[in-house]
Formats: sequence, C-alpha cells, structure tokens
Amino acid sequence: MTLHSLLAVSTALFALGTVMFLSRKNSIAILMGIELIMNAAALNFVAFGYFSPARNNLLDGQVFALFIIMVAVAEAVVALGIAIAVYKEYNHVQADRLNQLEG
Amino acid sequence: MVQDIFYGLFVFLTLGTALYVTLGQNLIRAAFALFFTLTGVAGLYVLLGGDFISMIQLMVYAGGVAVLLTFGAMLTHDVEDPNDSNPLFNGFLAFVSGISFFSLIYYVLVETKWPEKSATFIEPTTGTIGKLLLTDYLLPFEVISFLLLIAMVGAVFFVEKGDRT
Repeated sequence: MTLHSLLAVSTALFALGTVMFLSRKNSIAILMGIELIMNAAALNFVAFGYFSPARNNLLDGQVFALFIIMVAVAEAVVALGIAIAVYKEYNHVQADRLNQLEG
Repeated sequence: MVQDIFYGLFVFLTLGTALYVTLGQNLIRAAFALFFTLTGVAGLYVLLGGDFISMIQLMVYAGGVAVLLTFGAMLTHDVEDPNDSNPLFNGFLAFVSGISFFSLIYYVLVETKWPEKSATFIEPTTGTIGKLLLTDYLLPFEVISFLLLIAMVGAVFFVEKGDRT
C-alpha cells in the first residue's frame, strides 16, 4: 500500500467515470459517472492526508473528503429531481434528445 | 501483510465493479455494481486510517446515493427491455480518450517525487474531525448545511413542478 498505487487507483476510477459520462446517453448513467469521479477525488484527498509528512493538521484531507461527500450528495439529489421532472415531461431521460427549452 | 491482502481485495472490488459500471449495458445492474464500488472505497478509507470518513461513506454513499440512483434508474427507464437500457455510444473514442487520460496522469504521478512519510498512525479520528469542523472549518460547515437545505428544497420543487403540468 504505497502512495503511488493509491493514486493509480483513484486515477483509474476518475478515468472510468470520465468514460462513463462520455459514452452514455442516459442521464442517470451520466450521474453515476459523476459519482465515480467524486469518489476518486475524495480518495485522493484521504490518501494524500495519510501519507503527508505534515506534523499538525493531520486530518485536513479527511475533512475535505467529508465536504466532497456532502456536496456530491446535494448534487445527486438535485440531479435526480431534475431527471424525474424531465421524465414526467418527456417520458425519457436521453440527454441527446433533450434539445428544447420551455417545451 | 494482512493489510496488503485487504488492500488488494478492496482495490479489486473497487476497480472491478467500477469497470462493470462503465462497461455494462444494463442500467439496473450498473447501479448495483456502483454500490459495491462505493463499499470498496469505504474499505480503502479504513486502510488509510479514516474510521469516521469510512462510516460516512458507507452510510451516505453506499446506503443513500446508491439506493437513490437505483430508484432513479427504476423510475425513469423502460422496464420492458432492461438488457439494452444503457447502450454504449461512441464507445471506442471514449475508451481511447479514457486510456490516454489515465496514461498521461499516471506518468505524471510516477515521475513526481511526493513528500511522503513512512510511519503511519492509526488512531480514532472522530473527535478530532468534530473539533476541526467546529473551529477551523466552521464557515465551510455552515455553508454546506445551507447548501444541503437549498438542495432539499430544490429537489422537492423540481419534482413538484414536473407534476403540475
């Protein structure tokens, strides 16, 4: 368990999330990709905090990971609300077919 | 030694299920695989000495967001044909860009000399995080609580608005 291997894991998670939201049309799937990216960022923060040579404030990375989790939850809730509202209006959530405003 | 075994196990769980989330053509199965990805990340947090953050990850992400996404997937797609519910679109280009992105970032990470310490600390973090949240990070904490309130009101507003039409 080294810093390099952990950073490789979080980079792989980030790249998978990027591929997910580049290659899908379903809004829910795009949201899953964003969740993977948020997790990669939080994992990076915790890994750097664990291996940091700083003497004081050892837990700053974990506090930032906590903030990332809270912001991700707020974003997921609002995005799902929008997805459900869009589904009620158009009967689909395909991101490429949503090209009207005030339909 | 035991730590390395568990590290390999959690990395395998995280990346394997994340690969399934990315590659799978079935949205419901992808949502369930995402649950295991988030659980694997929580395990990695345990190995990195974050007991509180790991429990928060399990409760909020694996217990909350994954279930929320599963319900979202079930509420918003055609259940008659779940096997083809999430087709890949421009898959080859997306994978080429993803692999090149990973290679670039990984090259930078390996070439950089990070300042590291070898001695590790494993001690309870909950009390210290609580003190940090109420002293050093008091303003972000309050802003986050306000953001959560706005998100809750906004989600209710959007769903209600869809209902009225």
